[in-house]
Amino acid sequence: MTWWRRAFPLELAEESHFSRREFARFLAVVSAGFTTGIGYLWWRKKPLEGASDPEAKHAEVPVALGLAADLKAGQSRLFKFRDEHDACILLRTPKGELRAYRQTCTHLGCAVRFRDERLECPCHQGFFEVDRGFPVQGPPTRPLGAIALEVRPDGTLWAVGELPKPTLENLDRRAACPRDKHEVTA
Amino acid sequence: MTPTSRVRISPAALGVILVLLVIQLYLFETVLGAVLDGQRSVLPGAFGVSLALSAIALFLAFRSTVEHRPRE
Repeated sequence: MTWWRRAFPLELAEESHFSRREFARFLAVVSAGFTTGIGYLWWRKKPLEGASDPEAKHAEVPVALGLAADLKAGQSRLFKFRDEHDACILLRTPKGELRAYRQTCTHLGCAVRFRDERLECPCHQGFFEVDRGFPVQGPPTRPLGAIALEVRPDGTLWAVGELPKPTLENLDRRAACPRDKHEVTA
Repeated sequence: MTPTSRVRISPAALGVILVLLVIQLYLFETVLGAVLDGQRSVLPGAFGVSLALSAIALFLAFRSTVEHRPRE
């Protein structure tokens, strides 16, 4: 007999017994916890931190990104959009199209960078394609948040809003995707 | 003394609760991904489904434990 058994001589007949009913109740309570979690997400009107919010009620403040012609194919530039924490990356694809994405990787939030015609997350070797921001390799499973761009008549480039995340449903309907309405090839 | 018997949870019921929990886990993960993508329209439906699954699991786990006594 161990010393603590002698010090606390309490003997419970079923102290190591964990009944099937107790286990079932534990599972059911965990199940109810998931329901509570979904209910909380529904009740909480504010988007989660880092979540896409294309239907933001507040008016977007356009951000000037310089002259569109200054960015050559394969080059990128960082900028802030909604606030100083909202890091984004502007790039010109090898095809000559301008794209802008949130720099936050959808896996664990590291900053992505433009390298070798792809957006790369250096933390866990996640890669995103540059046309729509879809993950193509590594741990990320969700596309990057995309920023809508606009070229004004004077040749300046502006970030004007957030685009809805592309889904498999709108992949085949490119014309319906707002990003294509703002196709920028200047 | 009158012999008594407790209502026991059958292995089948426990299996159903386990399956419901796995479905809940998958549902929660899917909903969280959708919310992070800005698709909040899935929330009411997902909450309804999750509530129904939880109700079934709770019913199976917490149903009556009244002891049955044989008729005298």
